[in-house]
Amino acid sequence: MSAVHVAGVSKIFNQGTPKQVDALVDVNLTVEPGEFVSLIGPSGCGKSTLLRLIANLLEPTTGVVRVNEKTAAQSRLDQDYGMAFQQAGLFDWRSVAKNIELPLELKGWDKEKRAARAQEMLELVKLPEFADLMPWQLSGGMQQRIAIARALAAHPPLLLMDEPFGALDEMTREYMQGELLRICAETKTTVVFVTHSIPEAVYLSDRVVVMSPRPGRITEVIDVNLGENRSEDTRAADNFFAGITAVREALRGTHADHANAGAIRGVEDR
Amino acid sequence: MTLANRLRNIAVPFVFGVAFLAFWEGAVKFFKLKPYFLAPPSKIISNFFSNASRIWDAASVSGMNALVGLIAGTVFGVAMSFILSRFRFLNSLITPLAIALNAVPIFVLVAVLNNMYSITSEIPRRIMVSLVVYFIVLVNVAKGLTQVKTTHLEIMRSYAASDIEILRKVRVPNAVPYLFTALKISAPAAVITSFVSEYFGGSQNGLGSRITSNIANSKNAAAWAYVLGACLLGLVFYIVSVVLENVASRGGGATDNTNK
Repeated sequence: MSAVHVAGVSKIFNQGTPKQVDALVDVNLTVEPGEFVSLIGPSGCGKSTLLRLIANLLEPTTGVVRVNEKTAAQSRLDQDYGMAFQQAGLFDWRSVAKNIELPLELKGWDKEKRAARAQEMLELVKLPEFADLMPWQLSGGMQQRIAIARALAAHPPLLLMDEPFGALDEMTREYMQGELLRICAETKTTVVFVTHSIPEAVYLSDRVVVMSPRPGRITEVIDVNLGENRSEDTRAADNFFAGITAVREALRGTHADHANAGAIRGVEDR
Repeated sequence: MTLANRLRNIAVPFVFGVAFLAFWEGAVKFFKLKPYFLAPPSKIISNFFSNASRIWDAASVSGMNALVGLIAGTVFGVAMSFILSRFRFLNSLITPLAIALNAVPIFVLVAVLNNMYSITSEIPRRIMVSLVVYFIVLVNVAKGLTQVKTTHLEIMRSYAASDIEILRKVRVPNAVPYLFTALKISAPAAVITSFVSEYFGGSQNGLGSRITSNIANSKNAAAWAYVLGACLLGLVFYIVSVVLENVASRGGGATDNTNK
């Protein structure tokens, strides 16, 4: 059984018009349960589009997307996944706890069960005393932790993340990466993670999917051999740098056949 | 803010106001201005108190017209904005019209409305106020219902939320600050429209018509006393709308939405 199965998928926007964009062409990807897979590539390579196809926020032009052995549409209706974005996207008019409870409200949970789960999630992201605050009273990093808590509130088996740490400073970002790995290990959640950052992709992932633009496609899939228990020491380990080099070379390769070879636009080399 | 700062904030305009009144009083005395040209503040204030009950009666008539129109206009404006946010093609049809009407003095329509009802009816004035309020509320609330963050919509879709759930849990709360902004704009506009409507005929019972009739009788100080009453009424409407907004936003704290 696979957590995510994408077969022969393409996505074309504005088909048949002068503004036609081949966002994705012939994409095949399988993610196993418990796996952490990152999608990386320059701007316009279709990584966010691929994530939205898995989330069923977009329909593929051709091909099949299956999530938890169901159609993507059915998975969305069953709330089989949680989602987090670059903007935390918390609702200003709801307290922190009420934000986390939102997906549970929509599932029709009763009040006490919701409150208990919200508190459990707050403890998971280590912000237990923040339940009654309003989102704007929190820092950017804290808001993002609440957004992750909300995405995981219904205990979905799959977490889809679109550059969730992109707006955070470097220190907060590294801290959040560590927290995300801990949370995913505790909850045994499968993750598909879109990022611009090579070290972030390597540090977090079991596999890094390298994509290239015009048309958007997968060019290489790189296994990262950093093992189960990653810590701050991992960032200084030889195989961490080996992973970074491998991903960087794969990204260069995606540009070799383009006019602007050499410049890796839209990818952060840090 | 420290107490000293707060005192300074109040003291400066207060001192300026008192100085202005003193200057006015002095100018009337010094230049020996005729009472039908400009009345001194002391006479206006004594007129205000001697006519207090009549000013109160006139203010109740104008105030009631403004209040009824404000409530009716808000109710219809909110109702229409829901319809507009549901059917986008109507939005592109009506919003430009509403914005255009906000920019022209539509209260002159009251002359036409007066023809439709009996001469003593307050209905044309109330309809006029509600029309002015309606468009202000419509434009603002429709904006609040439709200008929702993309991330919020994607999150709701990822939860398989229905359109009704998105309306209840995202669009409506998002529109609440916009409604209070609209009320803050419409409350003074309602009072102004209520006064001005009285200049177009009908019963001579409101503040606006009392001001004109006193001027016509060369009772300058009395006219100014009614103007003072009109200022106070407008102030009451504005203060109530600001207090309502503060009470409403204390729970949400989403006041940054109102500036967009």
